Amino acid sequence: MIVKIKNLNHKYRNRHEEALKNVSLNIKRGEKIVIIGSSGSGKSTLLKSINRLIKPTSGKILFNGEDILSCDQRKAECIRGKIGMIFQNFDLIERDTVLKNVLNGRLKYNSTIRTILGRFSKEDYSVARDNIKRVGLEKHEEERVSNLSGGEKQRVAIARALSQNPELILADEPVSNLDPKLMKEIMDLLKGICDEKGITLISSLHFLDFAKKYGSRIIGMQDGKIVFDGKPDKLTEKDIVDIYGKTKDWYLYGKVGF
Amino acid sequence: MSIQKKYKGVLIGLTIVIVYYWAIAGTGTSPISFAEGIPNMIDFVVRMFPPDISNLNVFLVKAIETLQMAILGSTIGALVALPLSFLAARNITKNRFIYHSVRTIFDVFRGINEIIWGLLFVSMVGLGPFPGVLALSAHVTGALGRYFSEAIETVDPEKIKAIASTGANKFQIIVRGIFPEVKPLFTNYVLYYLENNFRAATVLGLVGAGGIGMELITSMRLFKNQEVLTILIIMVVMVAIIDRSSAYVRKRIVGTEIMHQHNL
Repeated sequence: MIVKIKNLNHKYRNRHEEALKNVSLNIKRGEKIVIIGSSGSGKSTLLKSINRLIKPTSGKILFNGEDILSCDQRKAECIRGKIGMIFQNFDLIERDTVLKNVLNGRLKYNSTIRTILGRFSKEDYSVARDNIKRVGLEKHEEERVSNLSGGEKQRVAIARALSQNPELILADEPVSNLDPKLMKEIMDLLKGICDEKGITLISSLHFLDFAKKYGSRIIGMQDGKIVFDGKPDKLTEKDIVDIYGKTKDWYLYGKVGF
Repeated sequence: MSIQKKYKGVLIGLTIVIVYYWAIAGTGTSPISFAEGIPNMIDFVVRMFPPDISNLNVFLVKAIETLQMAILGSTIGALVALPLSFLAARNITKNRFIYHSVRTIFDVFRGINEIIWGLLFVSMVGLGPFPGVLALSAHVTGALGRYFSEAIETVDPEKIKAIASTGANKFQIIVRGIFPEVKPLFTNYVLYYLENNFRAATVLGLVGAGGIGMELITSMRLFKNQEVLTILIIMVVMVAIIDRSSAYVRKRIVGTEIMHQHNL
């Protein structure tokens, strides 16, 4: 098991509803998990808890057997280093070049002083350049990220995550801000890389068709609870209604599909 | 309803009249005194002509000294403000005591005018440009510290989280995640304060803290009105040159889009 989640609960300050309700989950190394659910169902909270960007109110998360929620900050940084993350809004440093952004994935291999001086080792550069090449942006290495398109930005984010040499990648709605053609391109790329390098992938996606295509296992969430956990072909109409509710979301993401 | 409205208007009008009467009476401002003073003013201006350029060399040297004071004052202020500003940014410093203390220090330093700082430093380290540099640095530390920390607070928390997610420590997050985002704004503020400091430095001489202002006050006290005009011309020309070149550099470094965004 690479990740073990036990009885996780989270409640945001100044909100009534709990964002996560007693979530328990075991994730095997190499699995490609897709979390589906409507907005506000807890997908993002769950993902961000795994690398402690959010500290859940209660529960336990073990990464490679190490407790990430109760360890000290240094240890948490160390564990985070092994977990790459990709965000819906790319969250890159727009004014910096592609290479500089991807080098940020190497920070955990560097001391604070070297970071302040802007120094990276030859290995850091070669890892960063390899990953830029892997996502097909070698011609844009010295270009400012602000000049890139949405799809290219998400490629930069993937290269940054890869440069950490992660064992796990968390992708928080990685294609929600992209057009349908790019959605497929980015998911193909991400899944391809994870398959090739044996990286475990947990992504949250809105569309059911996508989830079925890219997930070896699907987790359905509604109102902070896991309401489905199984292989894509086991997903029934009833499960889909459980996940999305009989709402507009169901028609949009589930029934009509993408 | 309409009566209430009528009374409201009368009340506001009356308040305005009272406030102005109070201010005029308190300061002795009167158009008659102004009119009476016009011949004196004309006489003063006439006696300034032609400008006396016999001491031009001295004045130019002093003008350059003023520029040097402005450069040093802005730089020292910026260097002190930079690290402290992170302590005064709510998204970086969670400890409320430290956050409020540093903020208060910035407000005090900024709240005291350069001239007052000049008076204080002249009595501490003596006359000359050095107390002037210290005075400018002190004020700029407060002002830039405040603006820097506010710029840091506007950085998108998601971007900070993104850098944190790579396993970076707090310093690394600041250096690689926050600093690049605020760098253009910081540069803009520093250049703006360089301009500002040159104007402030011209006045600092009045309290004995170096620069061309010192020459100005001396010439005025000796009633050398023609020299006063020369000095005023040098000041105006230098301020204009510095404003223009700084605006040019700011535009080149920062780009117009940021200046529009922040109304600078």
